[in-house]
Amino acid sequence: MTEKFHEELSELKKQVEDMGELAKEMLETSIKALKEQDVMLAKSIIAKCETIRILDHTIEEETLKLITLHQPMASDMRLVATMLKMITYITRIGRYGNDIAKIAIDLSEEAHIGKLVSLPQMSAIVCSMIDDALLAFETQDISHIADFKEREDTIDAMRYSIYREGISYMMENPKYITRCTQYILIARYLERCGDHACKMAEKIHYMVTGEHKEIDYKSCCSPNQDTF
Amino acid sequence: MLNIFSVRKDSTTESEKAAALPAKDETMRIEGLDISYGSNHAVKGVKMSIKPKSVTAFIGPSGCGKSTLLRALNRMNDEIDGCRTDGVVSWKGVNILDPKVDPVALRSKVGMVFQKPNPFPKSIYENVAYGPRIHGITDKAQLDKIVESSLRNAALWDEVKDRLEESAMGLSGGQQQRMCIARALAVEPEVILMDEPCSALDPIATAKIEDLINELKKDYTVIIVTHNMQQAARVSDYTGFMYLGELIEFGETEQIFQKPKEKLTENYITGRFG
Ligand SMILES: Nc1ncnc2c1ncn2[C@@H]1O[C@H](COP(=O)(O)OP(=O)(O)OP(=O)(O)O)[C@@H](O)[C@H]1O
Ligand SMILES: [Mg+2]
Repeated sequence: MTEKFHEELSELKKQVEDMGELAKEMLETSIKALKEQDVMLAKSIIAKCETIRILDHTIEEETLKLITLHQPMASDMRLVATMLKMITYITRIGRYGNDIAKIAIDLSEEAHIGKLVSLPQMSAIVCSMIDDALLAFETQDISHIADFKEREDTIDAMRYSIYREGISYMMENPKYITRCTQYILIARYLERCGDHACKMAEKIHYMVTGEHKEIDYKSCCSPNQDTF
Repeated sequence: MLNIFSVRKDSTTESEKAAALPAKDETMRIEGLDISYGSNHAVKGVKMSIKPKSVTAFIGPSGCGKSTLLRALNRMNDEIDGCRTDGVVSWKGVNILDPKVDPVALRSKVGMVFQKPNPFPKSIYENVAYGPRIHGITDKAQLDKIVESSLRNAALWDEVKDRLEESAMGLSGGQQQRMCIARALAVEPEVILMDEPCSALDPIATAKIEDLINELKKDYTVIIVTHNMQQAARVSDYTGFMYLGELIEFGETEQIFQKPKEKLTENYITGRFG
């Protein structure tokens, strides 16, 4: 009985890893589609959104079933709790990928303003965080998530700089307003994905050590220095 | 009335020295407890403290020594031929393992509830009044009062108040078990030992006993052995994990079930054993 339980548990864990990989790919690809103005690529991401939604449901259902049938304890309980949280964060990341893909389609007609360097750079850091969170989850090695606070800070700084840059373009030429608003929105989405990677990291930290730890990032509970 | 404290003070033995007054927030202190049945070393060097007015649970695989340890706390092992106990169980400044301590008096202060409800083939009233009678209470009004309050404390009064003179054997298993708890409470113990008190009961009766344990800890110290880990997690404040006679880990229940320190504990409570 418990052998079957542990088999099912590790199968579910594998599914969470795969789901995380899928969401990260969606996010990563959405920025590629944006940069390269590739409508086909963008559409392929939107098609994956349904898969994420279904995974979210089935993994949640399966996990709840395991809780009901086996009432997991100790490390099993922490894994189960972590998975239930992670699928929510992963789903959000996938959805942001989906949202960015939609914007990519909207922005595919006309040329980008400038070379569009910062958003892909920002995305690369966010995706590295998602990768490392998933790796820490898989291997139980929390050294992969040890520097999330620093990466989070970098992401915040990048978002703010994209915001300022966008504002200055908009002031320069009202024609840029729509486009720049979208860039700023994407930067905001990427930052949220970074936050979700941090939330995953916190849960993984709990899963491994049994201790709750908050990655001290300023987004939610303290007044922002900049509004947006 | 009780002579648990009747240890002679003229010759201070080593064990009496070790049994100096326990710290303020501990009811019982167990030190170097070894129990053997012949050559079978069933409890090995157990050392721990039991906090008053709390519930302490012991878990562990079958045969690891939980019941043996529990029975040592009110000297029930004395009744078993060939059982040898060494070490100290210090309570109220006395080593209760000392042969000079009267086990009968001890057991009225440290009561026990067994796995299978064991009502006497008498009326409900007589079952509960049994202990107080043995302790010399004969006044009917006083006995009535004790019977009622014990049954109330055992959350059974409302179910049996109109049939006190009926045989206890006619009660359901869960009711019998609560009556046995009432019987233990009737002699005003301070500590109640329970050895798998719910293992013969259905989930509803089990839930009642668990609620009761939760109530009892307001006034009593409860020590329970259970095979049901969820039950240990639900009812206890502290949990000890035993394995092959040793107390492997002892700590706050929440910690033991969320993040045990010892790998053995982890393996046991997650079912990765053997
Ligand atoms: N009355 C007895 N006579 C001889 N040996 C005994 C006696 N009671 C227990 N033992 C032995 O002592 C060891 C511990 O037994 P104990 O009953 O304390 O274990 P337990 O943890 O309560 O197990 P269970 O969960 O099955 O009730 C076992 O090896 C058992 O065989
Ligand atoms: Mg036993």
